[in-house]
Amino acid sequence: MLKPLSKDGWNYESAAHLLNRVGFGGPPDEIARLTDLGHDAALSSLLDYEKIPDHTPDPVWAVPDLGRAERQRAIQSMVPEAKRQAQQAEQRAQNQHLIELRGWWLNRMGTGPRPFQEKMVLFWHGHFATSFEKVRDAYFMWRQNELFRRLGTDYWLRLLTEAGKDPAMLIWLDQAQSRKEHPNENYAREVMELFSLGEGHYTEKDVTEGARALTGWSLDRQTEQFIYRPFFHDNNDKTFLGLTGNLDGDDMMAQIVKQPQAARFISAKLWNFFAGQPPPDDLNSALADAFVENARCFKPFLRVMFGSEEFYSESIIRNQVKSPVQWLVGTARMLQCNLPPGFISAAIIRSLGQDLFAPPNVKGWDGGITWITTNTLLERYNDAATLVQGTTQQLTASDFATKPGGAGGVVLEKAAQRVHIGGVDVDKILTLDERADKEKLVASLQHRLLQSTFSNKQDQALRDFLDSRPKLNDADIRNVVRLVMATPDYQVT
Amino acid sequence: MKNEITLQTRREFLRTTVLGSALSWTVPTFLADTFMALHGEAADSATQIVTGKDSTILVVLQMAGGNDGLNTVVPYSNDYYHNARPRIGQTADKILKLNGDIGFHGAMTGFKNLYDSGNLAVVQGVGYPNPNRSHFRSTEIWQTASDSEVIEKYGWLGRYFDNACAGADPTVGVVVGRQLPESFFSKKPTGICFDNPQNYRFMSPEHPQPGQTDSTEAAYEKLNELEMSSPLPDDNSGGSIGSLPAGMPMQGGKAVDFIERTALDAQVSSEEVRNIAARVQNQATYPNSPFANSLKLVAKLIGGGLPTRIYYVSQGGYDTHTNQIATQQRLLADLGDSMKAFVDDMKAQGNMQRVLVMTFSEFGRRVNENANGGTDHGAAAPMFIVGSKVKAGLLGRYPSLAPQDLFEGDIKYNVDFRQVYAGVLEDWLKTKSAPILGRQFDPLHVV
Repeated sequence: MLKPLSKDGWNYESAAHLLNRVGFGGPPDEIARLTDLGHDAALSSLLDYEKIPDHTPDPVWAVPDLGRAERQRAIQSMVPEAKRQAQQAEQRAQNQHLIELRGWWLNRMGTGPRPFQEKMVLFWHGHFATSFEKVRDAYFMWRQNELFRRLGTDYWLRLLTEAGKDPAMLIWLDQAQSRKEHPNENYAREVMELFSLGEGHYTEKDVTEGARALTGWSLDRQTEQFIYRPFFHDNNDKTFLGLTGNLDGDDMMAQIVKQPQAARFISAKLWNFFAGQPPPDDLNSALADAFVENARCFKPFLRVMFGSEEFYSESIIRNQVKSPVQWLVGTARMLQCNLPPGFISAAIIRSLGQDLFAPPNVKGWDGGITWITTNTLLERYNDAATLVQGTTQQLTASDFATKPGGAGGVVLEKAAQRVHIGGVDVDKILTLDERADKEKLVASLQHRLLQSTFSNKQDQALRDFLDSRPKLNDADIRNVVRLVMATPDYQVT
Repeated sequence: MKNEITLQTRREFLRTTVLGSALSWTVPTFLADTFMALHGEAADSATQIVTGKDSTILVVLQMAGGNDGLNTVVPYSNDYYHNARPRIGQTADKILKLNGDIGFHGAMTGFKNLYDSGNLAVVQGVGYPNPNRSHFRSTEIWQTASDSEVIEKYGWLGRYFDNACAGADPTVGVVVGRQLPESFFSKKPTGICFDNPQNYRFMSPEHPQPGQTDSTEAAYEKLNELEMSSPLPDDNSGGSIGSLPAGMPMQGGKAVDFIERTALDAQVSSEEVRNIAARVQNQATYPNSPFANSLKLVAKLIGGGLPTRIYYVSQGGYDTHTNQIATQQRLLADLGDSMKAFVDDMKAQGNMQRVLVMTFSEFGRRVNENANGGTDHGAAAPMFIVGSKVKAGLLGRYPSLAPQDLFEGDIKYNVDFRQVYAGVLEDWLKTKSAPILGRQFDPLHVV
């Protein structure tokens, strides 16, 4: 049984923790507002996001490209050189859309009105980790992202089934190519190992039988939609996780979700994502029970989880390494500044190890302390300077030349694209009083950025720095903000 | 002296020239990457090679995705092979023959050259009992050297650091890449990780004159001194958090403690690495690929005398479920050519006798091709060992492809990969293998 958080347990610190984990954090005002609401109303204000209008328009290109299959066929019959050029042109357009898609999503996370919904999209993107590297189609990547937005807090069976029929997934794990004569085992295996049950909770036989059940699930390249192809389906009996019959993919997903282990697996994964460490066995039993009691529906289950005393225990608060997305988006929210232009934001988080729409493999990002290496730590410290100081002059894309590597060697080629990073508006985050008093200045920044305090030694380091400046100008203050961010303490939340 | 001048120039270059303004230090690192790549030659004028420590060096090369061993070391005269692979089988006219039965994939001229010159050993049919066909689990098994059914917390290289490298410089292990591989997970955080030496530093906006202090950098250093709210446990107390894979219980350790350790390692190593990368030049022509760039960097660091015992590089893309022919052609050519260039570089440096390269891949692939011009996850496959002191040639036995000798359509292993690890640990790194591998394996002597 999970214990609800007591009334006394709700305060500024727990409200900050909730906002950090359920969303991407925020400035002191927002935390104070949540604190005043009380725990229950604060949860509602974050979780019941359907009540908050979100008018973000879809990317203009986010519609089925009904001519694409035809074009691809035409390309196949071209002479080699023309074929190569046509393929490159197609891929360039896709790459450009993907760059836009990254910015579009980061903006939803950074400034959108429904941070929890976006946090769930981020969770599912890491869970059903699908990469543009193989899918090669920005529209399909966007559709999957929208699927997570639409069903991210829905019933597990519905989401799991729809995720398997999602075009990007059908390509990513080869299901689109599976047919009864040669069932492809990739999706059958990964859906159990990585998405629903975990290694050791199914047999090799379940993989081969499941692959047979899944035959028929396919992709119609013409309409760019899921299609069930009866001629591909193996109509013989299969035995999958103890159930025998002429099973199909829907039957298979239902049989998976019914397993007690399925509840334990996903509850542990959600706890790990939001709480920052795997749940001990007894806690996970309580979580899995709560998940089943709530009809295996995520929204009511997560409300119980975020309402529990366990979620606010001392070992959980400020003990999660920020993911690069959390680091970037959270910084913008806490410092009340805009994210850099989409493609720069995307490049920053990629260099920190989290390339959106291109996870390293089907297992997603390992997360936790693996975000931190000597390399990525120094990059965080330096990127902090970029974000805080901003660029005072306008660059053009020609300053960037091209950047090889990244998702498919994405080329930054929009010749006149303006690059401008606004930096932090010092007057927005500090009162005149705080600017004038070094002690208050340091305290205010710790309160805003860490929601905690530094050690005396670290305090002294900041004081020494401030003392080396006779008169503090905006650049000095921004430099202090950057220094607060260039600490181990700022890398956790 | 000349080296220092070059470095100083390079640093100023980055600070002042990128945008021609004092704000250049705030430029996103990827922009600096691009810029430095364009102007890299300018700074590489000094070429003095310093030979550092003379210990042996192991370069571990991961071929990620599960390389199809059968189409890499091809049994070209085997009927079972051709029957199983009517579409993607490599025919005798295409392969680089090693004897009357087997040969390298045609793209591997680099490997063939190394083989012929006595610098390459092929360990045939390597695997482990109860093979797992999941990428992640099988990679984990190779990285931790565990039994198939056992989940190990630490990596085999991490255990080597813990057991044999106590008190060593953090650069004793160097990963070229962004993420620490699981094989590096250790009780005490060891090893550094980066992919671009130029940006491997804390950047300050200040330009202190000689004798003046950079107050930003001073503040950064002080802010990042070790605090250690909970001390690192000693060797017998069950592990520090720094060594734990993501999501493993922290056992009372705080995430911030791990980051403090990493911050310290970053500070210590960044100066050293940047110096070397800027100073040492490659002395061979490498292909133009991310993998070749990794080996180029390793070659520079070896040439510059970094006290590293283990380098780790990886080449991805071997998960060839579809359209295997083109993919493997490209990857194996890159692998062979890059390796050949690396060997040439080591020879030119005079460091060849210190270096051993060992490849691994999480599994081989099914004997039968699939319907999509590819192969699915399988089991045993060859490993390659490169060095001037290797027992060059074919080690182990080529596995039988006769149907009755297969297990569920997969090749059975003849050599346990931990025998290879044991041989490398004992014969090359000169340390006892049993404490590192959990028990004594019969070492396969590769050198």
